[in-house]
Amino acid sequence: MTTRRGFLASLLAASTVPKLGWAAAGDPAFLAAARDADGSFALYGVGNDGADRFRLPLPARGHAGAVHPTEPLAVAFARRPGTFAVVLDCVTGETLARLDSPEGRHFMGHGSFSPDGALLYTAENDFVTTKGKIGLWSRAEGWRRIGELESHGIGPHDVQFLPGGQVMAVANGGIETNPAKGRDKLNLPVMRPNLSYLSLTGELLEQVELPAEWHRNSIRHLAIGPDGMVAFAMQWEDEPETAPPLLGLHRMGAEPVLAEAGEAEHRLMQGYVGSVAISGDGAQVAVSCPRGGRVVVFDTAGALLQVIPRADVCGLAPMGAGFVLTDGVGGLLHLEAGRLTPLGARARAWDNHAVALRS
Amino acid sequence: MKILVALLALAAPAAADPVVDRVVTGTILPRFAAFSEATAALEDAAAADCLATSPDLRAAWNAAFDAWLPASTFRIGPLEQEGRGLAIAFWPDPKGATDRALAALLAGDGAPLASGQTYAEVSVAARGLYALEAMLYDPDLNSYTEADPGCALTRAAAADLAALAAGVEADWRTDFAPLLQTAGAPGNTRFLSAHEARQAVFTQLVTQLGFDAETRVGRPLGSITRPRPLRAESRAAGRSLRNVTLSLAANRALAEALTDGGTEYLFAYFDYAQGVAARLDDPIFAGVDSPSGRLKIEELKTAIERVQDAASAELAAELGVAAGFNALDGD
Repeated sequence: MTTRRGFLASLLAASTVPKLGWAAAGDPAFLAAARDADGSFALYGVGNDGADRFRLPLPARGHAGAVHPTEPLAVAFARRPGTFAVVLDCVTGETLARLDSPEGRHFMGHGSFSPDGALLYTAENDFVTTKGKIGLWSRAEGWRRIGELESHGIGPHDVQFLPGGQVMAVANGGIETNPAKGRDKLNLPVMRPNLSYLSLTGELLEQVELPAEWHRNSIRHLAIGPDGMVAFAMQWEDEPETAPPLLGLHRMGAEPVLAEAGEAEHRLMQGYVGSVAISGDGAQVAVSCPRGGRVVVFDTAGALLQVIPRADVCGLAPMGAGFVLTDGVGGLLHLEAGRLTPLGARARAWDNHAVALRS
Repeated sequence: MKILVALLALAAPAAADPVVDRVVTGTILPRFAAFSEATAALEDAAAADCLATSPDLRAAWNAAFDAWLPASTFRIGPLEQEGRGLAIAFWPDPKGATDRALAALLAGDGAPLASGQTYAEVSVAARGLYALEAMLYDPDLNSYTEADPGCALTRAAAADLAALAAGVEADWRTDFAPLLQTAGAPGNTRFLSAHEARQAVFTQLVTQLGFDAETRVGRPLGSITRPRPLRAESRAAGRSLRNVTLSLAANRALAEALTDGGTEYLFAYFDYAQGVAARLDDPIFAGVDSPSGRLKIEELKTAIERVQDAASAELAAELGVAAGFNALDGD
């Protein structure tokens, strides 16, 4: 457990690092992959006014990206089951490295830098043993893969650091897949997703599972609050009419709280959350439901605050005190203090995730 | 969560989309008006004679359900606000919540509602068309006399349904239709462009076809090793196939309102699906249990899926819209 002193020390350390890095790339507020009107794929950096700061071509459809905390670098992951990730210089557009998953592994679409930016942690499927892994890649060593950790679950999808940089949260989706079977889900009747907390050496510090009746609620995406609260979002792998809650809130050492939006809203969410984000001011948690066509906003106690209907909305990230929403028809909207401000629509389809730069 | 309309007074419909315009005024609003009227008539019929055996009451309920089907396609807007769509139509009901909620309200001999409680405040599973179906057609529930709580409940539920339908109709007319018709106008944060409005309307059609195939027909079909005949919609009232038939007809009418004649096969696929439904002599899909029965019901499901595919291809191309990038394939 990080002490308050240790947390503040690393906070100070982060804020004294000059932000020159990302300023050189036009100071984007967030990065998001998209499919352009001509069918090509790209990673965009977008400012908090909604305007493009840069566009970097991608070799294939991107999923999420890892944003370096200080330098204008991003890692774009292919969507699952992807075997590549590219490290991009967001100033020059150069591809600095291409990371290939080792034999028997593939990337799961998400990864995070350690808060000091030295290491990249990647969520990976070991489809031989079916155990989830977290790959470690070293920036200083030219993006060499220097090791891996057990994720302590099947199908890790997202991995993110808690404040302080000593603990990582892993969303183990619980779904077994094998590239030979494409994106088929092989173990649904017995799946057991979990939220695992790992030390930097891979020790399992804590693990959270949902009640057994919801074992088919795959834990897939994470958002971490400034005080270490973990928001974890689910995709339901059983009959849609069951309509379970799709967002949980957890702090280490406590019980998880499931955010309740009521039966009607749960059904409208269609059992599928695309992204989860905590607002810039830390007071709200939102989930995007691209199939249900809505963003659902809760407070940090899990109480429903607001529903924003928006077709094919998926990307969600903190912006300002609130959130930015992106969708498959190119829309960009800023949600703050309950008000929605369109930032315009682009002739592109924003892909599943928007990743904010750490402020 | 009412939609803010204030800013719309400023802008003339900047680039009003003719397709959206004609569908809103010619298809959507009339359907919600018809549904509201039919539920008002149902409320009156229940007030006149609440007994489940009343032919007038059953006829009024069936007419309300008939009117619901064409309107139910339009899930965006008022129906998705405050859970109204679910309060009108609580189905599927995988856990038997409707039966339990009604039984709880009817327990004892007293009035079903507590003093000062309105029917709108009861469990959503006890509200709406399917709860009324249970009161009228479920032998465990429908033998109430005028003096029993069941009579008061049926009347209250019918009145509640009429109020819901009227509220949805009013909100469509005053709030949501203008949002669609002024898409892209400054201040319209719901639809940023005419294209979005058009895509939203189109998506309702495709989604409804998918619901009919996967849920109305697909749920009772189950699998060949595990058919689920008890999951057929409105079994008690004997309407499972009727609902599919009417929904198909309503979807066809919507497609006709959307198209400017630029499709080639879509309406042939509609013809085919409607023909399969017309020839299927199985009002509650009981045939899912037998190999020969299943074949015909699977044919219906496949036929509707083909209509959905044709709409997703031809009609989408004609309208210049597409299915959702993220909705189709997220992670």
